[in-house]
Amino acid sequence: MSRAPRQINSGPKKIFQPGEVILEVRDLTMVFGDRRVLDNIRFQVRAGETFVIMGGSGCGKTTLLRCLIGAQKPTSGSIHLFGEDITRMDPIEMDRIRLRFGMNFQFGALFQSMTVGENIALPLQEHSEVDPSLIEMIVKMKLELVGLTGFETFMPSALSGGMRKRVGLARAMALDPEILFSDEPTSGLDPVMTAVVDQLTLDSTRKIGATAVVVSHDMTSVFRIATRILMIGNGPRQGQVVAEGTPEEIRKNPDPFLQQFVKGEADGPIPLRMAQDDYLKHLLGDG
Amino acid sequence: MKFIVNALRRVEGDSYVTLNARIYSFLLWGLTNPKVLSPAHTLRQMIRIGVEALPMASLVALSVGFILAMQASTELGKLGANSFIPDLVSLSLLRELGPLLIAIIVVGRSGSAVAAELGTMKVNEEIEALKVMAISPVRFLVIPRYLALMIMLPILTVFGNCVGLAGGWAVCVGTLDMTSSFYITHAVQRPEVWDLYSGLIKSAVFAHLIITIACYQGLGVTGGAEGVGRATTASVVYSILWIIIADAALTGLFFFAL
Repeated sequence: MSRAPRQINSGPKKIFQPGEVILEVRDLTMVFGDRRVLDNIRFQVRAGETFVIMGGSGCGKTTLLRCLIGAQKPTSGSIHLFGEDITRMDPIEMDRIRLRFGMNFQFGALFQSMTVGENIALPLQEHSEVDPSLIEMIVKMKLELVGLTGFETFMPSALSGGMRKRVGLARAMALDPEILFSDEPTSGLDPVMTAVVDQLTLDSTRKIGATAVVVSHDMTSVFRIATRILMIGNGPRQGQVVAEGTPEEIRKNPDPFLQQFVKGEADGPIPLRMAQDDYLKHLLGDG
Repeated sequence: MKFIVNALRRVEGDSYVTLNARIYSFLLWGLTNPKVLSPAHTLRQMIRIGVEALPMASLVALSVGFILAMQASTELGKLGANSFIPDLVSLSLLRELGPLLIAIIVVGRSGSAVAAELGTMKVNEEIEALKVMAISPVRFLVIPRYLALMIMLPILTVFGNCVGLAGGWAVCVGTLDMTSSFYITHAVQRPEVWDLYSGLIKSAVFAHLIITIACYQGLGVTGGAEGVGRATTASVVYSILWIIIADAALTGLFFFAL
């Protein structure tokens, strides 16, 4: 594949020191039709942190992540990434920001018409002046990091779901991003691979100094990697921040909603089924 | 130039007009920086969209040549005007049937494939992955396909015209006792250069419609596999509809208004 010229001028950029606010979400609200998916979300992520966003199915975690990467414009509120409000940016300005972060999609989002090696090499070919032989070496290094040495020539269709996720992670890390966004990076992985991916996330923050923002509801993984956790609610607290704090603070938080989720209990305030009166009204068409 | 390119690229939204604005912005950019147009990727698409459509296009063009000559012979023969059959076959093919039928074949074969391919990529989050990597899906996916069809459809049309003329020749020489030299002389001398050019302009307009509608439908897929099916069908239906409308408008412009 021919290499396209470097198209985006990343310009002068501020280097964020550990502890500085690198991502700030202010009063973010997302409404689809008459459904308020995210409700006045606000939080800060500091450089070097592993910030985990957790919550039940349908609570709006993935919608929030899509807003953070600029794939979706929120109904109201602002997102300050690297000190700039990305909700007001046009496509060219957004591309300049996108060069500074990587995104690991839930199912890998690999290009099916390209080999594993070509998938990982693509961001390097598009956005760097690196020599092709060096790109080949970087691809091998990234594959070694995710435990897939020798898989360069495989097509994504020949890989298992877990392997695709790891290739997706390798591609997200290809440009050594300042922030790594991950959407459920360990779901569907075996315990050993879960630990490997967790260790990779930790390495990218502790050794390389990057920041990780991870959406997950794998509690073992969350408490292994998180430096801070944000819990988003569903049901009556749909899209609201239920709690925010360090893993220790989250464990000690008495909120029954939060504790039910952390302990993975079937009974509690998180509504899965309707109350008996509501159910009768619903069946009879009064509700 | 850079100002115009950036202004077009900054246009937001997902409408058909927006897609066209983005395509033109990259084509303009490509004038000063040809690498933007991904020549290797474009060449691959030319083979997939154009070269691989040759057998089907040839078969259709050959059949149309047969049909035109046979239908003409039944009526013109009654008037003793069989000598006009080569003129009728060549004019019909060059002006109208060549561009139109080859375009319809390409809609069914290549336009639908592009819509389905881009739609599947959208469903699999591949389009979003490109955007997140700061790679424009229009530059990376649409431009090579656009250029490929804009180049290959006029070439296929010229090729189809030749094959269609060969079909007419087979009928005239095989069943009407016409000599090859008579057929070729009349088929080549009767049309004017404008007849060929008008057909080529039509095929370029058809190529633009086919590929932009296919890409627009593919990139706009929502709702999984069912959405891909809907987009593929819509791509074929809208392409054929707009091709016929454009054909009527261009025929009016070229042969009545001008």
